[in-house]
Amino acid sequence: MTNAATERTAAELALGETPSFEELVDRAALAEMVHSFFELFRLPIRVFGEAGQILADASEQPALYAYLHTSGAGRRALADVVTRVKTLDPGRESEAMFQCVTGALYQISSITYDDRQLGRIIVGPYLPPGSGDPPESLTALDPKLDPARLRELLAEMPRGRPETVTQIVRHLTKTLDLILFSGHKAWLTSSMHLASVRESFRDLSDKNAKLQQAFDRLKELDRLKSNFLATVSHELRTPLTSIIGYSEMLSEGIAGDLSPDQREFVLTIHEKGEQLLELIKGLLDLSKLESGTMSLRKADVDVVPVIRDVAQTLTPSARKKNVELQVHADGVLPTVWGDAERLRQVFLNLTENALKFTPDGGTVTLRVLPSYMERPPDDDAGFVLMATRRAAVEVRVEDTGIGIPEPERNRVFDAFYQVDGSSTREHGGTGLGLSIVRRLVDAHDGLVHIEENAPRGAVFVVRLPCRRTTMA
Amino acid sequence: MQIDFGARELTIKLVYYGPALSGKTTNLQALHRAADPSAAGRLMTLETRDDRTLFFDLLPLTFRDKMGLSVRLKVFTVPGQVIHASTRRLVVQGADGVAFIADSQVAETQGNADSFMDLKENLKASGMQLSRMPLVIQFNKRDLPSVRSDDEIATLAAQGREPVYLAVATQGEGVVETFIGLLHLTWSGLDAEHDLTRKFGFDARVFIEEVASKLGSQRSLPELLGTCVGGALDVLKPEAVR
Repeated sequence: MTNAATERTAAELALGETPSFEELVDRAALAEMVHSFFELFRLPIRVFGEAGQILADASEQPALYAYLHTSGAGRRALADVVTRVKTLDPGRESEAMFQCVTGALYQISSITYDDRQLGRIIVGPYLPPGSGDPPESLTALDPKLDPARLRELLAEMPRGRPETVTQIVRHLTKTLDLILFSGHKAWLTSSMHLASVRESFRDLSDKNAKLQQAFDRLKELDRLKSNFLATVSHELRTPLTSIIGYSEMLSEGIAGDLSPDQREFVLTIHEKGEQLLELIKGLLDLSKLESGTMSLRKADVDVVPVIRDVAQTLTPSARKKNVELQVHADGVLPTVWGDAERLRQVFLNLTENALKFTPDGGTVTLRVLPSYMERPPDDDAGFVLMATRRAAVEVRVEDTGIGIPEPERNRVFDAFYQVDGSSTREHGGTGLGLSIVRRLVDAHDGLVHIEENAPRGAVFVVRLPCRRTTMA
Repeated sequence: MQIDFGARELTIKLVYYGPALSGKTTNLQALHRAADPSAAGRLMTLETRDDRTLFFDLLPLTFRDKMGLSVRLKVFTVPGQVIHASTRRLVVQGADGVAFIADSQVAETQGNADSFMDLKENLKASGMQLSRMPLVIQFNKRDLPSVRSDDEIATLAAQGREPVYLAVATQGEGVVETFIGLLHLTWSGLDAEHDLTRKFGFDARVFIEEVASKLGSQRSLPELLGTCVGGALDVLKPEAVR
């Protein structure tokens, strides 16, 4: 991992370092506990951190100490006691006892965790029970101190049996140890949570970067392919124009009369040349649509005349196949927002396709209906507010042909795809018509899908949205 | 490993790795039970409700020699479940030695191999090489039916590099042996790399024997180390520690 020191894993932290006392234990709560200890045992108690800073204090200055402070020697003696108690190292035994000049005792205990000293507990000063007379160390301190007063104040000192106090402090140390352990465990758990999330994130970011790289590469390849297609189509068209032009001129006898055979051959050249041109034009359209370089000249378009024009164009070939071509467009229809020429291409392709797959005696019907389209909201929340309905026009191209099985219905829009490879030869066509339809409809924010036509055949349904009109 | 020359303190990280439910935590629990309270800290388990390790278990063991050197052993387990891959990667970082706890059941053979590959990958991701990592292998759950036979394991172990131990961790069998083998191997590796014996004036054999006795073993070190099958590393041979 390339993380900085601040982002070390919890496992690493668990290795050498234990967090400090203050990190593991809440100070205010510690103060409460220490006060409760004081209320219960009436023994003064202080808790110090590792560096000697006081963390909790539940002690009152005994009246005896206040009295000693009135004397210079007393003050010095007490200051010495404080220094010695604070610096006394309980060592490996982790417990020590100190006796003050007044005869009072201090119990000093280490707070250790994971073999590290985190702080100390000091209980005292207190006197063992029974001791009444001031010790000589006290009375000899300063002649100005009144022995009677000293005895009186000594009697007010907190009392406790040293063995009992030691046990109480041991119990307190164990309690603190439990708190430290629980705190450490919670601290490790949360650090580990963070570290794991960070590690997973890093892992996923790596994978994402790799995917993004692969995606970018594929996108670039796709762009190159489209460019290649556009260039090749364009370059193919130029010589083809000459082939078509000259074969047409030949067939018209401009270069002299032709025998019937010659004429037939020339017409075949011309016809195949035209077919090739259509294929190249289709490829060119497709690559333009794919690369997004085809510009649409959008305007409000009345779909019905477009449909009638398509039907009129294709009536001769329908008649040749003995297929009936009908148009149904009743009622008032809104205009759609689109490019009339491109829409004409959409319906021409669809109708040609329908005619191609409809057998002798069949029917192809072009039906235009008012409809609507819904733009689904991002998720289920606020559906009633977010879902918008746009008015649309639906065009249904119905045939009575061989139909399209359910699993194939989406794939027929792929370039060069035909349901049955053999049907390309039987039915002809470039295999590009439907993929151009899908892309043109997409470019109009429309939708195209295939339904079944009972009892036989398929229905290509195109829905094109109207401009900026929403339905209630 | 962390070295604190001032405090004369060494911290060594040992990791128990292996597939889910192979008995890594059980090994630590058995070590904890066996250990003298003066040496073992509390066993900390960061686990989910279903008793499976969530992040890791941690057993701190501390040993002090007469010269005042203290050696802190931090023994970790990793969570075995596949989904905890990132956690395993974190825990294994900075490991000084690894005990691989394999499940002896025949049906778990592939699981053991997958987990071992995972160990290799995770070490690699942390810039460490499995081939240079002190490693012992334990075949646990020897008491279950339909386990791979002693003969089969011994035959394979004899061809491998790592010392192999047989264990029933639920009953504490083979647990201390595995640990001492790992400690010995890890120490030898660290000593060779950092010249610890000279720097600290440290007697490794005395130390490891002390650890073994604090773990309740009455056996001598050569005896303990001799319980493994296979393992071609010279440092493990009893004569090498004499």
